[in-house]
Amino acid sequence: MKILDRVFENGARSLAKRTSRRSLLASLGQVLTGVALMPLLPIDRTARAQEPARPSADEQSCQYWKYCAIDGFLCACCGGTSTSCPPGTQSSPITWIGTCHNPGDGRDYIISYNDCCGKVSCGDCFCDRNEGEKPMYRLSRNNDVNWCMANSESNYHCSVSVILGVAQE
Amino acid sequence: MKTNWRGVILLTLAAGASPAWAATPPPLPAEHLTIATVGPKSPHWIYVVDYAYDNEIDSRVWLFDGDTHRRIGQIDTGFIPGINISPDGRTTAVATTYFARGGHGTRTDVVEFNDNNTLSKTGEVVIPPKHAQTLAMLFTIGYSADGKFVYVPYLTPAASFGVLDPAKKKVLGEIDTAGCTLVFPWGPNQVSSICESGRLLTVTLDAQGHEASRTTSAAFFSPDEDPVFAQAVPLKDGYAYLSFLGQVHEVDFTQPKPVPRAPWSLVSGAEKGVWRPGGVQIGAVHRAKNQLFVPMHKGGDGSHKDGGSEIWVFDLKSHQRTARWPLDIRASGAVVAVQVSQDPTPLLFLATEKSHLLILDAQTGKLQHDEHHLGQTPQLLLNP
Repeated sequence: MKILDRVFENGARSLAKRTSRRSLLASLGQVLTGVALMPLLPIDRTARAQEPARPSADEQSCQYWKYCAIDGFLCACCGGTSTSCPPGTQSSPITWIGTCHNPGDGRDYIISYNDCCGKVSCGDCFCDRNEGEKPMYRLSRNNDVNWCMANSESNYHCSVSVILGVAQE
Repeated sequence: MKTNWRGVILLTLAAGASPAWAATPPPLPAEHLTIATVGPKSPHWIYVVDYAYDNEIDSRVWLFDGDTHRRIGQIDTGFIPGINISPDGRTTAVATTYFARGGHGTRTDVVEFNDNNTLSKTGEVVIPPKHAQTLAMLFTIGYSADGKFVYVPYLTPAASFGVLDPAKKKVLGEIDTAGCTLVFPWGPNQVSSICESGRLLTVTLDAQGHEASRTTSAAFFSPDEDPVFAQAVPLKDGYAYLSFLGQVHEVDFTQPKPVPRAPWSLVSGAEKGVWRPGGVQIGAVHRAKNQLFVPMHKGGDGSHKDGGSEIWVFDLKSHQRTARWPLDIRASGAVVAVQVSQDPTPLLFLATEKSHLLILDAQTGKLQHDEHHLGQTPQLLLNP
């Protein structure tokens, strides 16, 4: 399974190389401050929850289920995990969100994609998946902008995916 | 044993043991170190923007000659830049960010002006540290049609844009855009931004670069049902906003406020939802020939950043597809950016996910050149 993961990861990374990048930000008034603002999140997105074509349990794989709307370098490959920024970086207080289906329990989850900031690009495990992603005019669903923009150190390093809660029907 | 003296002589010569009577070639002359010049401009030159994802503080633009297939030179462009060329073609303007200690330290945002005749920086304007850092597109910095204003979108994430005087190298002001983003310039003093409501907000400036008035267009797309790409395609009389499902929303900018026209489709009923436009720079227009070139791919929802496996060509008057050019994307990678030269014998330039630059005859689709390794992540192609 690990080998398969890597095969698909490589495919996804190649795919990602060609397109946009990075993670990001949202429209004024829709800005989320990560986990802290969870109660403000829109939650009725079950119908749009996306399931990866080939789910993976490996958080270093682009096909890991939580990464359905991520765009950037996976922090899990850069010294962090899917929920932790690498040592010496800062987490972005503002994020974009996605709704992903967990094949492990059959539930849909709202995911916050925070960027980790303050160092140059990690450069490994680039992953660009865009299920439910929207252009920049809908900022809270856009993964192209640099979500480190509001940090004191605003260089982009990598991206994490943090479960905010179960999406309600 | 009989000696073959002719063979011995020939072997000796072949081995480089020159006989004494052979002339010694003169030594090479001393060389002089020079700086190459850009040379006379060609409509077949293309500015290739490399966003350098693996080391984003170090993006750059390559100027490449589509006829000789040589790199002419480079412009440094910093961290997640906005890049555009002045209406007279003489200047490349770059809105970008530098950190005081390389990858960290105090952030300074600046608009840099580069002379396209020398590829040298000629000046700069320091701007508030909030220029919009996002996808490679033509709308993260822009000139007014007369070249007297430069517009730079800001994002904090509150949205606004700055107005600059490129001649006096100064910031004239900042205009709030009420959540609408990016800058779509028109005429000498008009700037539009795209809104979540499916409308365009248009601000008209006075002679000092301050807001004189603002209007809002009719809604012409649904962000929920079929969003349009924010990276519009410039037309002779406005911009075309292509949707994820292949609808073309042309907006006429020659009116007092932008007026959306009736949409048309890149795809047939059978193709809808199967073939889609995608990538980063998702269309280019040859203005004199009224032709639209779009990278198309087969994919489902969420594939809007997938590069094209084919180039589809459309007549902008009849809205008919006039050609369909499949590409060998296993070799080159899928197409993420497209641009066309504006001369009568145009070239079509395609940047791919594998960092190739493909050059096609834009009239026949015939591949003329495949340049490998043109940067790290080339995703935007510009020409004057």
